[in-house]
Amino acid sequence: MKEIKVKDASPMCTLAPDTEPRIQPSSSVSEDRKCSSISVKSTPEIEKKYVHHVYDAIAPHFSSTRFAKWPKVAAFLESLPTGSLILDAGCGNGKYLDAVNLPYRTNFGDAAISIAVLHHLSTENRRKKAIEELVRVVKKGGLVLITVWAVEQEDKSLLTKWTPLTERYLEEWIGPGSPCVRGSSSFTLESIPETEENGLGGHPKDSRVSLTENMQQSSCSTPQNEDDSMVSRDGKSQQEYFVPWHLPYHRAEVSGASAGALANGLAKKDDKKGAVVYNRYYHVFGEGELERLVSGMDNAVIVDKFYDKSNWCIILEKTLEG
Amino acid sequence: MRLLTHNMLSSNIKGVTKGFPLKIEVEKVVEKQVEINHDFLRNIFPKIDWKAFSDAARTMGYVELPEQAPDPSVLESDLDFLTKFHHALLELHLEEGALVCPETGRKFPVNKGIPNMLLHEDEV
Repeated sequence: MKEIKVKDASPMCTLAPDTEPRIQPSSSVSEDRKCSSISVKSTPEIEKKYVHHVYDAIAPHFSSTRFAKWPKVAAFLESLPTGSLILDAGCGNGKYLDAVNLPYRTNFGDAAISIAVLHHLSTENRRKKAIEELVRVVKKGGLVLITVWAVEQEDKSLLTKWTPLTERYLEEWIGPGSPCVRGSSSFTLESIPETEENGLGGHPKDSRVSLTENMQQSSCSTPQNEDDSMVSRDGKSQQEYFVPWHLPYHRAEVSGASAGALANGLAKKDDKKGAVVYNRYYHVFGEGELERLVSGMDNAVIVDKFYDKSNWCIILEKTLEG
Repeated sequence: MRLLTHNMLSSNIKGVTKGFPLKIEVEKVVEKQVEINHDFLRNIFPKIDWKAFSDAARTMGYVELPEQAPDPSVLESDLDFLTKFHHALLELHLEEGALVCPETGRKFPVNKGIPNMLLHEDEV
């Protein structure tokens, strides 16, 4: 049937061809003193460069790789009454992402979902704001499902393929308003990634590591947690990463955005793989972090929380109007 | 953009207290048929701000809706009403035009049926 797309945070309305048309629009805290006081709704540089621009370039390719079903998301949707109106904030393959400012009336929806979106927001305040927005746009009694990438990945080798971001790196590249990076590991190693987030490509795992001239050399003596998560020297978990996306050359030519990205250093060519490699900024979530983010909210309560395929998930219920 | 969507959109520019409803500037309206579903209409009816909806329909050239919100009982069996409600809510599309913030006058363009609600840096 027909699609309504609202270019913004993404909402996409679809009418399913079955008999249950469901509109699914296809987005206190004391801050660490190192964070700037820029408006929480203003997009930080790191997100402009390593989320917005990247997804602008890769969106069609990214879209074509979205095939996996998310049973837990499906179950959530199916648990809602027939004819429910559901907002899906962040459903547009990353283009036009602006989860901290949803252009919808308060209390309108029956439910909202935010699937693998909040981990692209670079400050705790923005992540909180995004959750507040999701709660704002649903009615009292409405449910909100949020899923984010977990530090505790099922495939532990995946973390070694990501580039951990250090504070120094962030300040150089991102400038004021950079994410509050906990920990102070002073090395950055660039791994050559082999597999994408969905395990496409089927390349054999190969954790070759190379040092680029931009990166600081250091001994790789990062202590590991019991669960093998990366830890920086002061013992806190590494949660800020660049996660690569390989855009095949033939796709890059079509989108046209890659020439500029290569010229200004936003992306690199990997001739061996025939792909332009983009880095996407992620703040992966630790166990309990989603709960902590919502603990200060006075208009929502947690009704469920679970871990599902390397994602931390939470379901909130709005308890007060407004 | 359907009028269902218009009924939930609000201007979220910084400082705006009443960003709903957005005024509609019409350049091109298209009608696209879609199968009627009475249960859906009954569920959505209480959410709709009727005045905004009927005004918007009028702007789009459709004058069949009552200006006042009807009693919900019409949804039970008034087929004529249900058809008109369905038509205005889901079958009229603003393909080209703009949505205008009622407080600031800022225009959000609508192209190929898609409203662009993205704010500029100075609007957040």
